[in-house]
Amino acid sequence: MGCEVSGAIRLEMPSSPRYVSLARLVVSTIARGLEFSEESIDDLKVVVSEMCTNAIIHCENRKGEERIQMSCMPRPGALTVEVRDSGQGFDPSCVGSFEDGLAAGKGFGIPLIKCLVDEFELQTDREKGTLVRITKYDHRPAGVG
Amino acid sequence: MEGTDSQQTELNITYGRAGDYLVIELDGEVDVYSANSLRGAIVEKVEEGEYRIAIDLNKVAFLDSTGLGVLVGGLKRVRSHQGELGIICNQDKILRIFRITGLEKIFPIYDGVEGLARSRAGD
Repeated sequence: MGCEVSGAIRLEMPSSPRYVSLARLVVSTIARGLEFSEESIDDLKVVVSEMCTNAIIHCENRKGEERIQMSCMPRPGALTVEVRDSGQGFDPSCVGSFEDGLAAGKGFGIPLIKCLVDEFELQTDREKGTLVRITKYDHRPAGVG
Repeated sequence: MEGTDSQQTELNITYGRAGDYLVIELDGEVDVYSANSLRGAIVEKVEEGEYRIAIDLNKVAFLDSTGLGVLVGGLKRVRSHQGELGIICNQDKILRIFRITGLEKIFPIYDGVEGLARSRAGD
């Protein structure tokens, strides 16, 4: 039986690859508390890993100690996760397909996220950075999907 | 293992043989933190003349697109020498990522070292 999870949970971390596993651990713990299926938890771990990896890449060319903020908003049967960075942003029209990723050997991240979540939102700005927000439902309510 | 998580992103790499294939066995998580060690292992072995490589993912607890990118890079590297790069994996959570991305059509996938050996014997 899962533990009760309510209210937003926020994690702020340095823009460093070593903390991506911590983000996965936080999200999987929350999803397990919501009694998500193991498949949904596995999906969320991949999604959060992609979101944080992209945020780190966006911050690569910035000087100083860039930080990444992750917020998790659980509710019964659903988990919304936001990852925000203060990096250089990017042109969203450059997001390609899996075929593009195969040719380049990279760029699978956002197409993969979109396949694994129910809702996806991207806001990116050269000055303000990037915000990615996803929602994953464990059991889709009637009329969704 | 079901129902467990680990914060530690360690990737242990060991080597073995299955016929004319070098088997690179991974144990741990493959993400942006650990992918460079896998990339380095593949590059090193190709430079040593290993052009038939199988990556054993059966002990991998987690793999994301950074890991996939390394595998695609390795595939291109061995193909430039007319080689092959196969995947050994029997974990559905990992195979699902290959299916979603379409990479199951790019990589030969075997369920174990025995499956790879049987496949080679059938050539």
